[in-house]
Amino acid sequence: MLERAITSVRTIDPGSEEPPATRARLKDAFPAGAARRMTQLGMLVGAALDAVGPQPGDAIVYASRFGEGRALETFLESFPTPSPTLFQTSIHPSGVQQGLIARQRATTEVFPIAGSPAMVAQALLAALLTPTPRAIFCGGEERGTWLTAHGAASERTFAFALVLSSAGGVADGCGRLALEPGDVQGELTLESWFDLLHSRRPFAGAIAPGWRLTLHWS
Amino acid sequence: MSAAAASVRLSACDCLTPLGDAAATHAALLRGERALAPHPVLGGAGGDAVPLALLPGRALDETTPPAWLPAVQRLLGAVADRPWGSPRFPVCVSSSNFGVGSLYAFRHTGGPDFVAHGTPHASVATIARACGWGDNLAVFSHACVSAHLALLHASRLVTAGAAQEALVFSYDFLSPFVAGGFHALKILNAQLPAPYMAREAGSIGLGDGAAFAVVTRATGDLALRAQSLHNEMHHVTANQADGAGFAAVLAPVAAATRGARMWLKGHGTGTLEAGRLEAEAMARAFPGAPLTGWKGSLGHTLGSCGLVELALAARALRTGRAPGTVGTASPTFTDTVATAPFATTGCDGVVCTSNAFGGAHAALLLAHA
Repeated sequence: MLERAITSVRTIDPGSEEPPATRARLKDAFPAGAARRMTQLGMLVGAALDAVGPQPGDAIVYASRFGEGRALETFLESFPTPSPTLFQTSIHPSGVQQGLIARQRATTEVFPIAGSPAMVAQALLAALLTPTPRAIFCGGEERGTWLTAHGAASERTFAFALVLSSAGGVADGCGRLALEPGDVQGELTLESWFDLLHSRRPFAGAIAPGWRLTLHWS
Repeated sequence: MSAAAASVRLSACDCLTPLGDAAATHAALLRGERALAPHPVLGGAGGDAVPLALLPGRALDETTPPAWLPAVQRLLGAVADRPWGSPRFPVCVSSSNFGVGSLYAFRHTGGPDFVAHGTPHASVATIARACGWGDNLAVFSHACVSAHLALLHASRLVTAGAAQEALVFSYDFLSPFVAGGFHALKILNAQLPAPYMAREAGSIGLGDGAAFAVVTRATGDLALRAQSLHNEMHHVTANQADGAGFAAVLAPVAAATRGARMWLKGHGTGTLEAGRLEAEAMARAFPGAPLTGWKGSLGHTLGSCGLVELALAARALRTGRAPGTVGTASPTFTDTVATAPFATTGCDGVVCTSNAFGGAHAALLLAHA
């Protein structure tokens, strides 16, 4: 069984907030000039990461099924004169890199994970198998527009970050999680994972074929 | 330092490039052949001619189903029969662009079938169905170090006993989306790349590529003895000017090779500043070790390059001969850059590196088991 304490957690659910409103709300949280070029997902993941207090040496596991949906849409619209800036920001894992670059936060291990039915399980495995004392599991989505109508961008906007620690106590509002192999079938989407964190709901069950998650909150 | 908990073996490894499988590509590189040729940057929509290396018979424009899928199925047909995608036999997939060319095609043609392959999960699902894989898929996307992440994760799964064997598969096939993006960055131009060559202007080429490796604990004649990652997070497209990021990723691997004789397969896309920083950092970390890179022939195969070039490095280790830096001539950034093929028989192993947007760096040590 792989197990770690959740020593810090931050979730952000901006509902139907549009990117300009998110930018206006969060621009002061980033160095001057940085927010102007950041995507909605980049700002939200950056804010969630800031809130859990990354430390030098932390491993970062980032999960997003769709990534930068709005930047991707606008980049596609920019042809036949494609935008270099939008090309850069549309590429996975721009969502987590934007905030880390804005903070000049060098990191040894960054594991960006894209979509698959076992996405949450594999992201947790990546975090739990890192040799570092702390791993930060973060991620999120941003709601798209015309790509959403075709199932190629997210329907929701959200972001989360949590610190998984191999040592130390559990602060109020935090908890523990464990991943163990077993003869089980199941799936936990990134949206459902976010909802568990956001509502601090406990969970015990299969999240991928062969993997069972137990999540406790103090 | 970031390293696999213990050495793992590669029980199989092969690649697909426009020059063929690993054996055919290795042989062509030894002959100095270039797969890169000029193509309109936006395919059927035209644009400037830029160096691209496409699979034989494949156009840059996306098709549905993807024209590259049968070639991928043939490549993966060589993988040993296992319940891949089951809990004990996971598949670690990596790519930078997945099927995003299909979204470009959808946007420009309106063809609804293209969307079915456009997202990362849809693209991977297309391959998984074609290959009969289960749902235990870990999908990594970190631009041009993607394949290294999949290898490291697979190594940790196997080392921790969370998997019996892990299949690592990496792919990136070009499209107007990708070529247009790099052209917009002005590093994909009419010139052919000359990695590590000190010349007036830098340039890159882009190429189709796919590769696989089977990671095990004890089967196979080659071992991954160390793996290292570092992320500068300094700038989206530029590295720290003092080369600190290159030095940071090489240090753990250099420590693991102390006293051994190495040769080096670098990232070497053909850009000037990154090429200079990389060549100098390699020369400092591994004094006297010959440095080669193959993107001057194959182009940059993006998220798959780490695994494609690992398969070629494995071939070079087994055959005792490594291709030189095709397309490059003197003057080079360091006197260790190999511009011609060289013998690997006197070496204990090879250090392979990849770099990516965001100042991401990855390195690994491949050696005889």
